[in-house]
Amino acid sequence: MAQALLAMAKAVDGPDARARTGDLAAFETVMRQYERLVLVTALRLLGNLEDAKDASQEVFLRLYRNLGKVEAESNYQAWLYRVTVNVCHDMGRKRKPSVAMEDVPDPVSAGDDPQQCLTGAERRRVLQMSLRTLSAKERAALVLRDLEGLSTEEVARALGSSEATVRSQISKARVKMREYVERYFRRRV
Amino acid sequence: MNCVDWEERIALHAGGDLAPAEAQAVERHVAECAGCQLLLSGLRESLSLARDAHAEPVEAAHFAAVRARVLAELERGPARRWRWAWVYAIAAAAAVVLMLVAWPRPEQRLALPMPRAPIAPVVARVAAIPAAPKHRKTREPKPAETVTVRLETDNPDVVIYWIAESKGESK
Repeated sequence: MAQALLAMAKAVDGPDARARTGDLAAFETVMRQYERLVLVTALRLLGNLEDAKDASQEVFLRLYRNLGKVEAESNYQAWLYRVTVNVCHDMGRKRKPSVAMEDVPDPVSAGDDPQQCLTGAERRRVLQMSLRTLSAKERAALVLRDLEGLSTEEVARALGSSEATVRSQISKARVKMREYVERYFRRRV
Repeated sequence: MNCVDWEERIALHAGGDLAPAEAQAVERHVAECAGCQLLLSGLRESLSLARDAHAEPVEAAHFAAVRARVLAELERGPARRWRWAWVYAIAAAAAVVLMLVAWPRPEQRLALPMPRAPIAPVVARVAAIPAAPKHRKTREPKPAETVTVRLETDNPDVVIYWIAESKGESK
């Protein structure tokens, strides 16, 4: 899917080529291709939909201003992930710090088989709350590797870190997330 | 080996991030360690939950809202830039006029005595004043010396140089 989108974006008369000349309708087509990547990644990194929308807006404005440069990099996705992480990092610094592991909220519903009874909203809530227990770098590494499915090498490139550092961040993040999820369900049953 | 030492590798194994040989070593350890079995299954469950939650669709209205905001910003952009261009043009013209009016004519420059202390506090630095030796056995003719005084005002755009040149002695 991603490769197909990339190929489409690279087409000579594709939407990005026209977008570069200031064609806003063409740029809207480019946005549609990558909007899920940007908004959902920003949502996971920031934990708040309104902040994620602000971040997405900033990312797409930067994309518009740098279309030529991004095309030279020949990888829209890598560029968008990197800029999304940077924009969210800048926004996150101005916002409240992450929650402590002990601050597990009361579960929304209760049942005998907690994981089975989870509603979509509650599952998303557990995910967001568990992500907030991580440091910014651990969160970014886990979101890109485990949720967005990038390879460790791609994550390292997006975060400007070494692969060894990313592996360490991912393993710590997974352990912390598992601790949070287990605490959540222990309180639930 | 202590189970704590396995934690990082088990966490990487849960997400499929180990090379086959390492993954096999983890599997062997987990097979005979109940605590690490629980750790691995917990990691897999939490990852599965996270991925399911992440895969849930986001309402299309949110994407549309972002697109609309970006396009509105881009459409507004050129007009806003032109408005500021006028401001910059007027400011530049005003600066040129000010320089022409305030710049001293050559005869005025020659008549300038010592620089007066400016209204704003200044930091004065005397640059490159050659130190004369205390005792001289033979009197050498003095070459011409230039003393430069740089006066910095609070305004970074205004720096005053005072250059004094003493007449040298001929042999």
